[in-house]
Amino acid sequence: MTEMQERCLALFYCQQVPGNSDQERLAIEKRYGRTIRLFPIPCSGRLEPIHLLKALESFADVAYVVTCPEGECRYFEGNSRAKKRVERTRTIIRDIGLEPERVGIIAGSKEHPKSLGEVAGEILESTSSLGFSPVHNLGFAQK
Amino acid sequence: MITAEQKPIEEIREMIAPCKRVLALGCGSCVAECAAGGEKETAMLASALRMAGKMNGEEIQIVEKTIDRQCVKEFVIQLDDVIESYDAILSLGCGAGVQAIADMYPEVPVIPALNTEFMGETKDRGVWVESCIGCGDCMLYFFGGVCPLTRCSKHLLNGPCGGSMDGKCEVNPEVPCAWQLIIDRLTNLGALDRLQMIYPPKDWSKKQGAGPRKIIKEDQQE
Repeated sequence: MTEMQERCLALFYCQQVPGNSDQERLAIEKRYGRTIRLFPIPCSGRLEPIHLLKALESFADVAYVVTCPEGECRYFEGNSRAKKRVERTRTIIRDIGLEPERVGIIAGSKEHPKSLGEVAGEILESTSSLGFSPVHNLGFAQK
Repeated sequence: MITAEQKPIEEIREMIAPCKRVLALGCGSCVAECAAGGEKETAMLASALRMAGKMNGEEIQIVEKTIDRQCVKEFVIQLDDVIESYDAILSLGCGAGVQAIADMYPEVPVIPALNTEFMGETKDRGVWVESCIGCGDCMLYFFGGVCPLTRCSKHLLNGPCGGSMDGKCEVNPEVPCAWQLIIDRLTNLGALDRLQMIYPPKDWSKKQGAGPRKIIKEDQQE
């Protein structure tokens, strides 16, 4: 197994995001196995920092949220709230010495929509340099 | 409402460093309303502290719990059964809550996780503003419901100072001039004549100078 496959991404995503059908989710689970754990939420505005923190504390090396494109939230402000909560979570983990990049947010694009699988792959790729989280495996992280 | 803000995590970690088992104790009243020490904030702080502990190879257990009010004995006694299993309590209550817990369990260190700030009101989502300094002799009637001691940067009882511009304070242009608000309110109420009175210097003995203040209501006692 490569390092990328062994790391774990907690992926929270708004269920209104296009391209997150059951088939897509099954395909992601089949392709990535336990590398990606999916958490559908009715709106990204439902996301709280504690969700991201608990994921990082319990199992995840990286925790991201995928939202609707800006201005497209069916509840108007859900994705803008999610953005602020991700920022707050980043501040918290920075304060304890964890890389803030381990938490992030991806807003979908109306013009260039991508499937959840594509977005997940891009997150894994862009965060690959972070390696394992020192929260779960101090030995690996220190190498 | 009493407002507070969480202390920096590093400061909290230094205070709990000698402990192996810590109870992070939230309060469901004022500090929950101002998003500093409620159930959600307690869970976040506890999670962050646990992660920090793991990252630094420390053997520290952080358990979280939130009670409705830390400043009322009847709510605090819920801890009677669990208190012995902790080296310390990390209180996310206000200063009153921290001291109430410490008084009830003098054998257990109680560590404040918050800096208690002021008595205030929720102005908007995520915005809290100081509105009362607890002077012990409320004069809001005379000033149309605007407290000059709290809201005027110069604490003037006989204002305005003459320095405000466009209704904003000259000391801090981001805040409205309290005396402008007072005059506007009293004008609306048709009670501007209340300002013809010269208010004498405040009797601060009702706020401080004789130790902690106490209220006793015999009809509420057992």
